[in-house]
Amino acid sequence: MSTSNISRRNFLRAAGLTGTALCLGLYFPASSKESEVFNAGDEEASGIELNSWIKIDKDGKVTLVDHRAEMGQGSYQSVPQILAEELEVDLNNVNIVFARGDKKYGNQITGGSSTIRGSYKNLLKLGATARVMLIQAAANKWAVPATECYAESGHVIHRPSGKKFHYGELVETASKLETPKNVPLKKISEYKLIRKPLHRQDTPLKTNGAAVFGLDFRLPGMLYAVVERNPRLRGKVKSFDDAAALKVPGVKRVFKVQMLVYSTIREGVAVVATSTWAAMQGRKALHVEWDDTGFEHLSTAEIYSRQNQELQTKEGLSFRKVGDPDNLLKNAAKKLDVVYETPYQAHSAMEPLNCVAHYQDSKIEIWGPIQAPDWVQDFITTQFNMPKDKVIVNMTFLGGGFGRKAFLDYPHEATLISKEMGAPVMVVWSREDDVRQGPFRPGISYRAEGVVDSGNISAIKFRMAGQNLDHWQGGKKDKANGSTTEGFLEPYFKTIKNISFADVPFETPIPTMWWRSVYASTNGFAFESFMDEMAHAAGKDPLDFRRQYLPEDRLQRLINKMEEVSGWKSREKNGGYGVAMTECFSSTVGQIVKVSKTAAGKIKVDHVWAVMDCGWYVNPDIIKAQVEGSILMALGAATIQEITFKDGLAQQHNFYDYKMPRITDMPPIDVYVMDNAEDAGGVGEPGLPAFSPALTNAIFDLTGKRIRKLPFDMNAV
Amino acid sequence: MISLNVNQKAYQVDADPNMPLLWVIRDIIGLTGTKYGCGVAQCGACVVHLNGEAVRSCVTKVSRAEGQQVTTIEGLSANNDHPAQVAWNEENVPQCGYCHSGQIMSAAVLLRDNPNPTDEDIDNAMAGNICRCGTYLRIRKAIHTAAELQRKEVKS
Amino acid sequence: MKMQMNVIKKYHGTVRAVAVVAVLLSAIGIMAFTLHKDDKSGKADPELFVVKKDSVASVKAFKQVYTVLMSARCMNCHPSGDIPLQGDDSHLHTMFPKRGVDGKGVYAMKCANCHQATNTPGLHTPPGNPKWHLPPADMKMVFQGRTPHQLAKQLMDPDQNGHKNMQQLIEHVDDTLVKAAWNPGEGRTLPPMSHAAFKKAWLTWLSTGAYAPKGK
Repeated sequence: MSTSNISRRNFLRAAGLTGTALCLGLYFPASSKESEVFNAGDEEASGIELNSWIKIDKDGKVTLVDHRAEMGQGSYQSVPQILAEELEVDLNNVNIVFARGDKKYGNQITGGSSTIRGSYKNLLKLGATARVMLIQAAANKWAVPATECYAESGHVIHRPSGKKFHYGELVETASKLETPKNVPLKKISEYKLIRKPLHRQDTPLKTNGAAVFGLDFRLPGMLYAVVERNPRLRGKVKSFDDAAALKVPGVKRVFKVQMLVYSTIREGVAVVATSTWAAMQGRKALHVEWDDTGFEHLSTAEIYSRQNQELQTKEGLSFRKVGDPDNLLKNAAKKLDVVYETPYQAHSAMEPLNCVAHYQDSKIEIWGPIQAPDWVQDFITTQFNMPKDKVIVNMTFLGGGFGRKAFLDYPHEATLISKEMGAPVMVVWSREDDVRQGPFRPGISYRAEGVVDSGNISAIKFRMAGQNLDHWQGGKKDKANGSTTEGFLEPYFKTIKNISFADVPFETPIPTMWWRSVYASTNGFAFESFMDEMAHAAGKDPLDFRRQYLPEDRLQRLINKMEEVSGWKSREKNGGYGVAMTECFSSTVGQIVKVSKTAAGKIKVDHVWAVMDCGWYVNPDIIKAQVEGSILMALGAATIQEITFKDGLAQQHNFYDYKMPRITDMPPIDVYVMDNAEDAGGVGEPGLPAFSPALTNAIFDLTGKRIRKLPFDMNAV
Repeated sequence: MISLNVNQKAYQVDADPNMPLLWVIRDIIGLTGTKYGCGVAQCGACVVHLNGEAVRSCVTKVSRAEGQQVTTIEGLSANNDHPAQVAWNEENVPQCGYCHSGQIMSAAVLLRDNPNPTDEDIDNAMAGNICRCGTYLRIRKAIHTAAELQRKEVKS
Repeated sequence: MKMQMNVIKKYHGTVRAVAVVAVLLSAIGIMAFTLHKDDKSGKADPELFVVKKDSVASVKAFKQVYTVLMSARCMNCHPSGDIPLQGDDSHLHTMFPKRGVDGKGVYAMKCANCHQATNTPGLHTPPGNPKWHLPPADMKMVFQGRTPHQLAKQLMDPDQNGHKNMQQLIEHVDDTLVKAAWNPGEGRTLPPMSHAAFKKAWLTWLSTGAYAPKGK
């Protein structure tokens, strides 16, 4: 059944809203990119899929919807902060709720740092539309011109008389008005909430245990499951012995389960019990034999030697080319030709993967830490052959995501287990499952060749060899990785006259997927390390060298800011300063890292200066927090973390061998946000890629040692 | 049956005495503020106070807590107003928030034992709590703020 | 070889007792030792403990003792710094717990916050003991980095051995925390000899005069 035939009356009745609330939402016509605001009270709203982003009831209670996942990046604050600005309500008096997974909210995937940049124009329009309607309603009630009225703090005020209505008193009238088109939006200079470092609305919930994460969700009669999965993705269950497991008090059932990882089946044995602990004990008592035949069992050494082999012998699939770098490289008397290596990484959100599913004959409901509720809805709909409106996907708070929780495997597995049990089930992944089973960020090698002529770049040629995430999703194998240049600053293609990028295809059976800032997280290290090597070969200051090739005003301002805040010009020669700049998800970030050597000979990060240009922005404090966190995540990935493989198995298990930076590792960081009105860029990821090259460039500046392989040991440079 | 006192409330729980206190608190008593992060005392997400000490509940058998005083994040203060909680809000510390029950419970022990902690004291107290979002700078700042709030409280 | 024997009686004042032992030993000139059989409880009975000086046998025994004390299971809690070591490779303990005044950690990082009365099951989980702690700040009893000579001297010096007299040194071999080295929890390497063999070497070393191997 589809909701497209729902009548207005039915919708309002179903929602209990007839004449009692103002509900505004956005309609995303399939045919156009422009969304339209609609009023749930409009006749026009009949026949379209209804959502509501803003709801104001008769008591004046305002409910704003966060349509994206809250995984730490601040959507729970920033989405309402935008709506509240144009709506003119006090953020402390609104109720914020997460949307369910539904195409009605447009694209909900919380990835690609897209929450604000993908939604803000619509959200502004939505908030402003509601405000205009409420003002009009007040004007009608007072029989005065709307121009004499204004909105503030959830009230409409009649300027000449000082009379006021609170929004609740206006909803009945407003809900009957026609939805205005092309409402005026505020200027940046008029913002009261946007661009202010407001306190996050979710903080109080996260300091007293009240926030409900996936693992905290409970249903009556809910059972708990853990799954012993084949540690090699493509392996199968040959047999299992559940006798001992079934004797563990609390264990209810043990059975084989097959979940989909992309189009590959991962087999495991589920242990379902009355508590998490009982399920874990049952799993310990389980004996499973695996069938791991028919696919390659790789080791880390093989992966990198093969990547290197490919890079040395193959041109790969061309992705982008300007001029003729090959010819210049061929004829150069002197050239740089180096290889950079980056490791596989696990996501390791603090909240291990988990999901609650309740499969019933008539519907499936899912609750969990889910980055892509609309994708999960689509996937479960298809897999279980259930009408789409009978698949309800609810987002809890996410205890971190970093890309892993945008995946569909764990909700799929939870639904399979619930179906088998005929009861609501929470599937809990242990930390070891979370670390070892991937999908991982792919480890990638890069070959960079370059020629410098008279202090200038004559040619650059990049080749990458690493797993292509598109291939897991059926992408064409004769096409270069779509993210081959991710992280590279676009203006370089204009100023560097001979430059090429190619993808040398490289496959393994190891499952891979997005990890915070995706390909930029590894590309950035290669690109910006090489830019530093080129600057050094050219005998130029590395910051000036970049400035020379990035003439746009916006980038010049960014570079000037980096220079100013870090004291770059007055820095000590070979004092341990490194610079890097990357661009991804429409934001550019420049970082300067200062390092020193301790008496014990260890490298210490003394300071990081990061400058973010994300264009139009909402909450500068959230941006700073995201950049701080991105830098620490990059520090871990550059210096202590690596997933290695032996015989096809990930060798790491938990935080004792996949170590996390701790408070003692945190360098002082200053983050600066550029002020401009350009289109909004991403915030959650772009702060990450520049850190590792800025760090290794700083180490080169201090020690003369060029680090081309991550991770490296800061205690042994 | 095991007798527990959690947040000043008595519970009789029917649990294997070897079950970690973490799972008793979460799955049996139903207080979910205390988090599972690693299960092996590496990350500190599960810190609760056992007679005032910041124990890792994921490796603490429930039998150890029998008849003892257990405090979880839900019981740290009545109104989210322990100086650490106030400071965490003031300094916008949490991102995803998952680790912060444990972070705050660890910080509370530090603040009790040392009303004026230095950065080094903070390192010594907090290195057992992992934050994957990287909020450490703010944790440090918030502990200093909390110490200040606490000193003001004592004075007034 | 002329041998002199001294029966070490039970003493109570620890510092004085060790001083007495030291006087006795130094008065003896030739070190030799025999060891009376243990009682049924397996504990060395100081009442019956006889020092019989024998420098060769003593040094030989200490070399065995040394291999145990310098193994990860003993050395990890006798670090040169104020942070314990961890693992068979004796790396600095992850998360850097500090010794504290009493050796039991500081603030939210007290040993007993993770280390239970018994070993936690599983690999890489905290080993347990009711007394789990480091030596206190005023008596660090460092093993890490000590040569055999230094360690032997240190063990017999009441100002560095925790004010232990001979009797207490003898008893210490059966201390529950010392014995925890032989019940280290899953995945950890045992000391290089059994506790019985270690005990024998320890008592032999003491009863032959507790000679320190030559060197620095």
